This record gives sequence, structure tokens and C-alpha cells, in this order.
Amino acid sequence: MSPPPAMPITETTRLPAPPDSKINRDILRVMEGTSPGYWFLVALAVIGAHVAGGVWAYQVYAGLGIGGYTHPVFWGVYIVTFVFWVGIAHAGTLISAILYLFRAKWRNAINRSAEAMTVFAVLTAAQFLGIHVGRMWKSYFILPYPNQRGLWVNFKSPLMWDTFAISTYGTISIVFFYIGLIPDIAIARDRSTGIRKLIYTALALGWQGTSIQWKSHTRSVLHLSGLATPLVLSVHSVVSWDFAMSIVPGWHATIFAPYFVAGAIFSGFAMVLTVMIPVRRIYKLEAYITDYHFENMARFLLLTSMIVGYSYGTEYFIAWYSGVEPEATAFWYRAFGPYWLSTWIMIVCNCVIPMVFWYPPARTHIPTLFIVSTFINIGMWFERYVIIITSLSREYDPAVWGVYTPTLPELIILAGSFCFFAMFFLLFLKAFPVIAIAEVKELAIHEKAHGGAH
Amino acid sequence: MPSLLGIYDLPGDVAAVSRRLRSRGFKDVEVYAPAAFPELDEAVEDGPSRVRIWTLVGGLTGVVTGFFITIWMSNDWPVMIGGKPFASIPPYVVIGFELAILFGGLATLLGLLAVGKLPYGSFGKNDAAYSARFSAEEFGVVVECQDRDVREVDALMRSHDAKEVTVVEA
Repeated sequence: MSPPPAMPITETTRLPAPPDSKINRDILRVMEGTSPGYWFLVALAVIGAHVAGGVWAYQVYAGLGIGGYTHPVFWGVYIVTFVFWVGIAHAGTLISAILYLFRAKWRNAINRSAEAMTVFAVLTAAQFLGIHVGRMWKSYFILPYPNQRGLWVNFKSPLMWDTFAISTYGTISIVFFYIGLIPDIAIARDRSTGIRKLIYTALALGWQGTSIQWKSHTRSVLHLSGLATPLVLSVHSVVSWDFAMSIVPGWHATIFAPYFVAGAIFSGFAMVLTVMIPVRRIYKLEAYITDYHFENMARFLLLTSMIVGYSYGTEYFIAWYSGVEPEATAFWYRAFGPYWLSTWIMIVCNCVIPMVFWYPPARTHIPTLFIVSTFINIGMWFERYVIIITSLSREYDPAVWGVYTPTLPELIILAGSFCFFAMFFLLFLKAFPVIAIAEVKELAIHEKAHGGAH
Repeated sequence: MPSLLGIYDLPGDVAAVSRRLRSRGFKDVEVYAPAAFPELDEAVEDGPSRVRIWTLVGGLTGVVTGFFITIWMSNDWPVMIGGKPFASIPPYVVIGFELAILFGGLATLLGLLAVGKLPYGSFGKNDAAYSARFSAEEFGVVVECQDRDVREVDALMRSHDAKEVTVVEA
């Protein structure tokens, strides 16, 4: 380019550099500095994950016998926890994709953190497949790859469908998360120095918010939402078919797919609330994540709680009404057998406690929201426990009935999974903007253009 | 040729000024925005984004791949069950569906990179006109013009409520 001409413009009014956007400062502040409390939590999470890793290493050495597996129950806490974390993973895509397609603007305060939770929850869930199979170094057997034995995998098995569903879900969640992050990484790039600037510059891919970039970005997000919406519904449907395709009483039910999807959304939203309530308070994000957002989440919890409750009712009703004795016996056993406590924890946590949200002030009362969402997390773990363990422990033949009790190593690995998830989430808080800044700005500028009121 | 940069607060003004500039025959118009606004979609380029073609081709490739690998593998390692055909379509729908989503999603990412021309520019170096104010809350319109057009462009940008107009030093 030739050197610029000697200022031919008559009245160049160079204003002083404008102040940075308040939205940028408020949200990027979360990433700055770390308090001793933060490091304490990170240390706790890292140590917890490593303790679980150590127990797992011992399990590899000693064998799966250190778990509570007992004939006929060979799907234990690991599979329960796998299903639990896959369920948690559903809120992110639901908020990002489905609410995006419905143009529910309130989603943009929570979509980023929910997407991050999706990625980390899928990652956590994926660990359990390896932990559960024992010889995890042979896990790659499930992939269809050309081999000397001339064998191919059995695509008629729901476990194969699950492999494809979960790996697709993990990949698409990461793509979705990253595409949404690109403009926000550029914001952080423009406001950071040193090594951080270098990393953000690489990750931002030279994003400058030009018209072409935004246009293709909006299109990509729209298309990914269109793809992710059926995906999120399919993933937990496929997980439910791992069970429903069998003939085990308590599993063999056509209601399983919608029942699991509703449960997944229920537990995912509960986890988003459980995590975001402390984050909002600690990082003073009340201006962005408002009570209105929490109230909407509470309404979602109420709705999905009732769907889940209806599904429980349907299961019991059909077990009785079908007249199929093994089915009726299985459900009687669930409620009044040795696993009665798990069943009643599940019913109370998932169907009774959330009913408090019928009372409007409860939907914006933060301690209530936190406590109820925590109970839902507990209840949803127990739901999977009840479905998997009680059904397996009594199938058709009384000669092979047995009672499974989780052992300490299994429970340590379960607790470690929460540390593993928390570790990633804590690191995420300091690495990337916790709220989708560009989307919040879109609303703010839109309001400015239309004179405040929408 | 000099480039002029106008700074704006509202997307509507940016859309109007870039439309005016393009109708006056200025080819090299660029817009910087802090967020996505539908009114800016056609500021620089007309028509919908071509990312949609990428998604479509990716999704269709996924479906075809899903059914191809399942049917081919069943026949490559045949297991006779009750005299039925080796391949059975209903369970393979799941694989076809998942691969449609997987390939479609990955193709969308590639489409974003290809159509949005990402990664853009050379590493760590932005356009001369770009500054951190466009990742704050301001909009910019940059146009390259002849020396003799500078006054006209300056006046045009100001007539659409430009907060400031400057010459970009390359």
C-alpha cells in the first residue's frame, strides 16, 4: 500500500480511545487472578481425581473382583455413573441448540458454561467405559477397523450404536463449544498479554468480526444446532436402548427412550444450576445471570420432573396392567425389595421435592434452588442405579438371583468422577469466558438501537 | 490508495453506509462488528452463506458412509441367522443417522473455515484498520478509495452518524 496522503480530510475528529466495553470487563474479570480458595478447590479436585486414578490402577492390577460384581449383576456402579454423566451432558446441547432454534434469548447467559459442562461430562462418562470393561487397553476392539482376524463389529448390537452415538456426541459438543468460543477468544486475545495472548491468538484463528466471518459463523451455529437437536435426543435414546433392547424385566420397555431423554435433560439442568449458583455468587455475575434465568431453569426442572414422574408411573402401571408376571414382580421388588431405599430416594428427589417450584417465590430463592438441584442430582444417580441394578439382580430364573452392593473402590471412583469433572470446570473458568460475551453484546446493542425496551 | 475507517455505534447505520458505498461502486468495503447482526449479513456480500452446502454434503456423505460400512461389513463377515439376509436395515439406521450428524457437523466446521476464510491473515497480525474497539462495542466500516474520493466518502460516512472518520495508515 502506498504511504497515506497528508490528511486530506477537512475535519478529522480523532476522539480519545473509547473506554472498553463494560460487558467485556465484567466477564473477562472471571478469568483474571486466582484466590487461595480457587487453588484449594483445584487442589481438592486434582487430588480427588488422582486418588480415584490410583484406585483404578489397583483395579487394573487386582481385577474387577474388587468391585461388588456378583452373579448375576455385572453392570454396577460404573455403568450407573456412565449413564449419569451422559445425562448431565445433555443440558449443554439442549440449551445451546434447542433453545437457539426456539430463539429463547435467555439461554445466552448460561449456554457457554452448559456447553463446557457437556464437553467435560462426556469426557467423564467416557472414562467409565474403560473403567467398566476392566482391560481397558482392549477397548479399541469396539471400533470397526480392518484386522488380521477378518472380523467386523456387530452393528446390530445397541452397544455399537452407543459407541457411535457417544463419540459423535463428544465430537459435535467440542465443535459446537469451540465455534461458539472463537469470537470470545478474539475478545480475550485483544485484551491479554504474554503467553495468554499467544495462545488466544492461535485459538482465535485471526477472528476480527468481519461481515463474512460473522455471516458464516451464524450459519454454522444454526446448522450445528439443527444437527445437534436430533443428536441430543438420539444419544440418550441410544443409551436407553442398551437396556431396552434386552429382555430383562424392568428394562424391556418402549417408553425407555423418551423417559431417558427427559431424565437426562432434568439432571443436566439440575447440574447447571448446582454449578452456576456458586459461580454467579463468587464472580458477581448477577447482572448477566439474573433471577429470571434461574426462574426459567426452575420451570424446566418442574416440567421435566413431571415427565420423569409420569414415566415412573407408567412403568409401574404397565407392569401391573400388562399382566406379565416377571414385569410385575420386578417392579414390586424395586419398591419393596432390598433396594427399596434407592427407589424411594429416587422418587422423593425426582418427583416430590421439585414440586416446590409450583410455588413461584421458590423459583427465585437461591438457597432453595441450590438445595433442590442438588437433591435432583442425587435422585437422578439413584434412578440409574435402580433401573440397572434392581433389574439385573432378579431376572427370570430364581436360581440365579443375587444382590449387588457397591464396594469402597467403586464408590471412590464414583466420587473421583465428580473431582475429575470439577477439575476441568475450574480450569475452564480461568481459561475461557464463562458467558458468551458476543451474544450478550448482541442483545445489549440491539436494545441500544431500539431505545431500551425490546 | 488510502483507506477510510468510519466508527459507528449501531448496526443499522453500518448496514446503510456499506450499502451506499457499494452502490457508489466502491468494491473494497469491509465491516467489523462486535457481534452477529442479521442486518449486516448482506453488508459486504449478497445471498446466504455457502456454509449450508458444506453441511448438506457432509450430512449426505455421513448417511451413505453409515449404511455402506454396516451393510458391507455384514456381508464381508457373514453370520447366517435363521436364513435371513446378512444385513438388516433397521439397526443400521442408527449408525447412518449418527454418522450423518458427525460428518455434517465436521463439514460445517470445515465450511466455517473455508467460507469464513479462517484462519485469517498472518499469525498475530490483524488488519491495519482493525483495533480492539471492534471487540468492545463499536462497529467499523473500512473502504479503499481513490485520493479524489476521500472527501465524498468522508461526507457519506458522517451523514450516517459516524462517530469518527480516519485515514487508515497501512
